[in-house]
Amino acid sequence: MQIKPVLTALRRHKAGTVLVVLQIALTLAIVCNAMFILHARLSHLSEPTGVDEANLFVIANQWAGEQKSKQEIDAQVRADLIALQQLPGVLDAAPSNSYPLRGSGWDNFVGLKPDQLQPTSDAAVYLGDEHLLRALGVKLVAGRNFRADEIGTLGLREEVHPAQVIVTRALAERLYPHGSALGKPLYSMSATPSTIIGIVDRLQTQSVDDWQRAYAYQSMIWPLRLDWPSGLYYIVRARPGQLAAAMREAPKALLALDSQRIIDPSDGGSFAQIRQRAYDSDRGTAILMGIISAVLLVITAAGIVGLTSFWVGQRRKQIGVRRALGARQRDILSYFLTENLLISLGGVLLGVVLAVSMNVWLVVRMGAQPMSPLYLAAGVLLLLLLGQGAVLAPAMKASRVPPVEATRSV
Amino acid sequence: MLKMTHLSKVYRTEVVETYALRDFNIDVKEGEFVAVTGPSGSGKTTFLTIAGLLETFTGGHYHLDGIEVSQLNDNARSKIRNEKIGFIFQAFNLIPDLNVYDNVEVPLRYRGMKGAERKQRIMDALERVGLASRAKHYPAELSGGQQQRVAIARALAGSPRLLLADEPTGNLDTQMARGVMELLEEIHREGATIVMVTHDPELASRAQRNVHIIDGQVVDLSEEPRFHAHNARVADA
Repeated sequence: MQIKPVLTALRRHKAGTVLVVLQIALTLAIVCNAMFILHARLSHLSEPTGVDEANLFVIANQWAGEQKSKQEIDAQVRADLIALQQLPGVLDAAPSNSYPLRGSGWDNFVGLKPDQLQPTSDAAVYLGDEHLLRALGVKLVAGRNFRADEIGTLGLREEVHPAQVIVTRALAERLYPHGSALGKPLYSMSATPSTIIGIVDRLQTQSVDDWQRAYAYQSMIWPLRLDWPSGLYYIVRARPGQLAAAMREAPKALLALDSQRIIDPSDGGSFAQIRQRAYDSDRGTAILMGIISAVLLVITAAGIVGLTSFWVGQRRKQIGVRRALGARQRDILSYFLTENLLISLGGVLLGVVLAVSMNVWLVVRMGAQPMSPLYLAAGVLLLLLLGQGAVLAPAMKASRVPPVEATRSV
Repeated sequence: MLKMTHLSKVYRTEVVETYALRDFNIDVKEGEFVAVTGPSGSGKTTFLTIAGLLETFTGGHYHLDGIEVSQLNDNARSKIRNEKIGFIFQAFNLIPDLNVYDNVEVPLRYRGMKGAERKQRIMDALERVGLASRAKHYPAELSGGQQQRVAIARALAGSPRLLLADEPTGNLDTQMARGVMELLEEIHREGATIVMVTHDPELASRAQRNVHIIDGQVVDLSEEPRFHAHNARVADA
């Protein structure tokens, strides 16, 4: 290979070379980090919540009209639930204060002792009755479900700490990493213990924020019906294949029972809609990063094409001389490919240093994860291929410069 | 060494055919120093580019060192240019980005020669033209005469069978021209075959034989050798 003469010639064209090296380096650094963040964002978009997402829908029920008493609300909620459960397309229905991926909800510190200063962990709180597990479609892996007689009610400004709770496996293992959590107590911001009577396989929290990723599957269910005057959520699980019909019929049934209510169309809905809404901003960020990366790559490729085309035009005579001295077309082609490879190698070497520095900065300042070297390797390969691809057309043009060009005066 | 018979070169456009060479015949023997002269536009340069395989021709035959070149593909033509022909151009045509050493090395690299042999040949060629001490200089740091000497060294380094010179002193002042001409004569005396295109009759007269081209045809072939009869006139010019 003609590396030495190519390097020698490049030293005489420092400005253009340095600019392209810097462009490649910056592109590599930004694209690697963007792709890493993008992948991290996209990877949890498809993580299962643990509920029966295909058949689940949520009704955001807000009470309207004259304010009812707690007893009236509770009676209405029970009547609503019976009506929902009796719909032909519905498998089960339950009340709740929230649902997975809602975006926000109740979140309590959890400890193992009543006077514990530093909580052992953090957990999402879902309220529900004995139908909630079936309505959500979560799988009970140990212990038992709530009994109807264990279900209490929670009115406005009331503080209730239930005697029994059901927790997710993730929370159980966090609280009691050595041995079963079943039958053991937990303290949730109270001196009153709650006994763990059941463990479910998986139930994601309401939050989709990155900073809560560590607690994403630490949830607990309290046996309480929410009787607040503002409203509650009905978690409804349709029979397989009947989701659309159930979603049509359920609001009608509720409004037939009592029209003094608002069913909020911007909240709840089918689980597909919930998932879509929850990750809208993540998807937006991912698309934006993808576009920025693509634009950067295109600009870099255009820069390489531009510079090489300029050099080919500038060196037309020189190429003719080389051809006259015995260079074959492929020697000229390989000259420009080699030249680009050397520039690109300089760029990616600098780019790797920049990419790692940028990632370290993001880890230290933004709490990002350390980037896998695979992203660097893929980025390096991508930019080397991009460079070779971009230089191909001008290099082919150069190879077609005829040897007789050597005799022409400029 | 170089034999063209009934050779023609036609440039065609949609409306007109222009004969740059027509029924062109020439036979240069091994070891000859031939000057090709003629007015501007007569076809001298076309002859040289075809002789040097820089361009193809339209009809006729061309044998170079016994090889009929009309059917050769681009790679084979490149190989012949590299191994059998040394070019000396009017504008020197050194590569400005490379130093003297690297310039002389260019054709040797294309031949795939090993590094040690390349180095030996480059230094021999530079010694031969008196520029070994300037090996690390760039063309822009040399005078016109020195640049042409580098170009001659580049042509000689590959030990070509044929040297083709296109107005080799055209861009030089008288003194430098004399030096370059003497160098060519010296190279010829050592046995090289040289074909030199020039429009300068005085330079031409220093060649062994003159071939005159008018309107793409050889019109006057002097068979009389004229050895270095007019050196003094070039120097005085």
